[in-house]
Amino acid sequence: MAPLSLYGVANTLVSTLLLHLAAVLPAPLSTLASNSGLITALSVLLFGAILLGASLLNTILLIWFERKMLGRFMDRRGAMHVGYAGLLQNFADGLKLFRKHTFKPRDADGLGFFSAPTAYMVTSIVMFGILPISTGWNSGSLPLSLLLALVVFSFAPLFIFLGAWSSANKYSLIGGMRSAAQMIAYEVPILLAVVAVILLSGSFDLSTIVAEQRNYWFWGPLFLALLVFVAGMLAEMERIPFDLPEAEAELVEGWNTEYGGMLFAFFMLADYARALVGSYLIVLLFLGGWTMPGWVPAPLTNFPLAGILWFQVKTYLVFGVFIWVRASLPRVRTDQLLRVGWMRMIPLALLSIVLAALVVLAKCLPVFGCVPSVGG
Amino acid sequence: MSEMWINMGPQHPMTHGLWNLRVKIDGEIVLDVDPEMGYLHRGIEKISEDRHYNEIITLMDRTCYVAGIAWEHLFILAAEQALHVEPPERALWIRMLSEEFQRVASHLMWYAAFVQDIGLMSPFLYGMRDRDLVLDLFQSYTGGRLTYEYMRVGGVRNDLPPGFAEQARKVCDWLLDRFVEYDRLCSGSDIFHRRCDDLGVVKAQDCIRLGITGPMLRSAGVPRDLRKDRPYAAYDRVDFDVATAETADVTGRYVVRMEELRQSVRIIRQALDWLDKNPGPVMADNVPRWMGAPYAPVGREGYLLKREYPKGVGFSAIEEPHGEALAYVVNEGGEHPYRVKLKSPVFVNLSAARHYLVGYRVADIPPIMGSVDICVGEVDR
Amino acid sequence: MEGEELSRRLVGKFPAVVVEPFRETAGRVRFPPEILLDLFREMRDGLGFDHLGQVGAIDWVEEREVFYTLWSDREKQYVFLSTRVPASAPHLESLTPVFSSANWHEREAWELVGIEFDHHPDLRPLLTPTGYEFHPLLRSFQLHEPEGLEVKVRDV
Repeated sequence: MAPLSLYGVANTLVSTLLLHLAAVLPAPLSTLASNSGLITALSVLLFGAILLGASLLNTILLIWFERKMLGRFMDRRGAMHVGYAGLLQNFADGLKLFRKHTFKPRDADGLGFFSAPTAYMVTSIVMFGILPISTGWNSGSLPLSLLLALVVFSFAPLFIFLGAWSSANKYSLIGGMRSAAQMIAYEVPILLAVVAVILLSGSFDLSTIVAEQRNYWFWGPLFLALLVFVAGMLAEMERIPFDLPEAEAELVEGWNTEYGGMLFAFFMLADYARALVGSYLIVLLFLGGWTMPGWVPAPLTNFPLAGILWFQVKTYLVFGVFIWVRASLPRVRTDQLLRVGWMRMIPLALLSIVLAALVVLAKCLPVFGCVPSVGG
Repeated sequence: MSEMWINMGPQHPMTHGLWNLRVKIDGEIVLDVDPEMGYLHRGIEKISEDRHYNEIITLMDRTCYVAGIAWEHLFILAAEQALHVEPPERALWIRMLSEEFQRVASHLMWYAAFVQDIGLMSPFLYGMRDRDLVLDLFQSYTGGRLTYEYMRVGGVRNDLPPGFAEQARKVCDWLLDRFVEYDRLCSGSDIFHRRCDDLGVVKAQDCIRLGITGPMLRSAGVPRDLRKDRPYAAYDRVDFDVATAETADVTGRYVVRMEELRQSVRIIRQALDWLDKNPGPVMADNVPRWMGAPYAPVGREGYLLKREYPKGVGFSAIEEPHGEALAYVVNEGGEHPYRVKLKSPVFVNLSAARHYLVGYRVADIPPIMGSVDICVGEVDR
Repeated sequence: MEGEELSRRLVGKFPAVVVEPFRETAGRVRFPPEILLDLFREMRDGLGFDHLGQVGAIDWVEEREVFYTLWSDREKQYVFLSTRVPASAPHLESLTPVFSSANWHEREAWELVGIEFDHHPDLRPLLTPTGYEFHPLLRSFQLHEPEGLEVKVRDV
C-alpha cells in the first residue's frame, strides 16, 4: 500500500465521485466526468481546500494556545467561557469582527488600504501549501521549496508598508517604517542561518532536509544558526521583545492602527499564520520535522498520521517558547533592534556557516567513513 | 521623513489618563513637546467653594483617583487648621496608616502601568493583583476601594474593624515577598536596563529649578521627603528611610519607588503595632456633631441652621505618592471655605516635560512619562 | 529659620515687607507687587528658599491676592509670600525669570482668577478650553443654583 498522502486521499475521493456520476449522467456529460484532466483539477481544489481549512483551524488553535499559556504566565486563566476551556472563543471573536462595519478613513487611499490586508493574508497562507508537515502532506516535492518559502515569507514588509502608508495616519506610517526596517534587517541573518542548514543537508528541498536529519537533528551542530534563526523569526513575527512596529505603548497599534473589523481580523489571522509558519520552519530546519529519534519506542511513531502529530507537538513547543519570551521580556527599542540585527546577528550567522562547513568537512574524515553528499 | 507634529492623546495608551502630549518628531527623534492639559478639569477648587467641609472630602477622593486618601489627608490637615480643630492621636495614626496603604496601592498601580509602557506584559497583572489586596483592606475599614470618604474634620469616620491588623500583616508579608519577584522581573532583565538607563535624565539642580518633587527628585539624589523633613500625622514617631538613587534616570525612579514600597510596608507594620496597643477615640470632642452630617440639620421651626466658623486659614503639605502636595484653605467664617487651592506634584513634574523628553526617541516617551507617574486627575483638578 | 530672623533679614533690604507668623512655616511675607522679582531673587539666592512650591490666587472682590510658597532644603521649611493687586488692573510681573517652574502655575492663575502676568513667555489657557472667556474662580462667576428652591436660612 502506498503511503497515505493528502493528495492521494483527495484524488481517490474525487475520482470515485466522478466515476459514480459518469455512470448515471447522460452521454456528453459522462465523458466529461471521466476526463482525467477534470479529475486532477478537482482533486487539486479539494486538496487545497482541506489544506487551507486545516491550516486555518490550526492557526486559530494556536491563538487559543497563546491566550491560555499567556494567561497562566500572568496568573489568570485566559478565555474560559465559550466552548470547553474557551476553545471556541476565537470563533466568537472572529464572528464579532466579521459583523463589524468595514470602513476606510477619509484620507486613506482605498486601493492600497483594502488590498494590503488581503495580500498580507494571501502571502501568509500560501506558506501552508509550500511547507510539508509530514510525508505526503504537501503539494508534492518541490526541489527549491525552502527558497520559495523564504521568498514568500519576505513579501510581508511590502504589504505592511503599503497598508501603513495608505492609511494616512502618522502612527501607521511610523509603524510601517519600523516594520519595513526591522523585517529587512532580520531577513539577512535568517537567510544566512538557512545557508548553514543548506550546507549541512545539501538540499533546498524541505523534505530532503528533514530526511537528512534522520540520524541527528540539526540543532546540535547548528546551534548558533538556530539561535540566529529563532531571534530573526521573533523579529519577523513581530512578537515581544521585537514587536516595535505595533508597540502599543507609543504607536497605539502601529501599522494597523486604522484597520478595524474584518480587515483587522485579516491582519491578526495572518500574523498568527506567520507565527505558525515560523514555528514550522524552525521545526523543519532544526528539529527533525516529523521524524523522531530512534530511541522513541516504535508504537509511538509508526501509527497513521504519527508524523503530523509529532510535527504539531514540536511546533507547539517551539511556539510555547515564543509565548514564554513574550510573557517575560520587555520590548527593545528600534535602534537597539537594528543594531543587534546588523552588528551581532549577521556575524553570528556567518560564524554558523563556517561551523556548518566544518561539520560537513568532518563528515568527510575517514574515521566516519562516509562520503559527503553534494546536491540533493 | 520630515519633521511633523503628532498628537499622543487625548486617547492614547501612553497617557494613562486624559491629556494630550503634542510631540514634534523627526523620524524617531523627539524635537519638541507640548503637553495639553485640561481634558479632565472638573473645577474641584470652584466646586469646593460651594460645599461644606465634609462634602469636599468626596471631591478630594476624585482629585487623584489612584491616591484618593492621600488627598483627603492633605485637605483635612489644612481644613483642621482653618477650623481650629485638633484630632485625637489615634486618628493621626490611622491616617498615617491609610496614607501608607495608599502609597503602596499607588506605587503598585504605577508599577503595573510602567512595565506595560516598556512592553512587559505579565508584571502588569501581578501589580494589579497585589494592589487588589490593598484595596480589599481599604474596603474592610472604609467601605470604598477607590473613593473612600473616610477622613473627617477632627478625625476619621470609624475605627478599624476587629481582625484588621492580622489581615493587614498577612498582606504585608505577601507584598514583601512579591517585591523581590518584581525586582527580578524588571531590574534583573538586561533589556530593561537597555531601555531605561540614562533615559529622561533630570539632574538635581534641574529638578530644583523646575520645581520637580517626589520620587523624581529623590532619584536625583536629593533626600527630600516631607514625611521626614516636616513630619505631619505621626511620621515623626516611626522609623523609615528616605529612598534615594543617584542616577536621576528612569531606572533611578524605578529603584526609588520599589524602595518606597518596602519602606511603606515598614511604616504600616509599626503603625499596626501602635494601634493594637493604644485604643481610644478616633474623633475629636470639640467638633460640633453636625459637622459629620452631609446636610445641614433642621431646627425646631423647620429652618436650616446656618453654620458659622471662626475665621482662619490652613496650609498643609504632605508627601503624596507622586510628590509634594500643598493645600491652602481660606475660611472666611461662612459654612463653605472661601478658597481652596491645591497644588499637585504631577502638575509641576509634567510642566517640565520639555526638559526630560526632547532629544530622546519616540519609543522612549512611554517609559519616561511612565516613570513620572502621571495622574491627570490631580493635574487638572 | 524663625519668623524674627526672616523678618530681620528681609525688612532690612525691603522696608515695605511685612512678616507675620503663619502655620508652621517660616512666616508669611506680605510684599508690594513692585518688588516681586527682587524679593524672590533675594529669597532664592540670599535665604536659600530655592524650590517654588506653588503660585495661587484668591479673588477678594476689590483686590486679588497672589500667593507663593517656597521651600528651602537647608532650613527644611516653607515660607509663604503674598501680594495684592487691584481687581481693576490685575497686573503682576511674571515670576518666570527667577523660577522657571512658575510657568504653568501662572498660566493657571491667569485663566482661573484672571491675574495678568506681564512678560510671561507663554500665557495660554491651560485647563480651560480654547476660547473660554471666563475666569471661573472669580467670586462673580456663580455656579448654577437650582431654580424654584426656596431655602430659608436663620442664624443659630
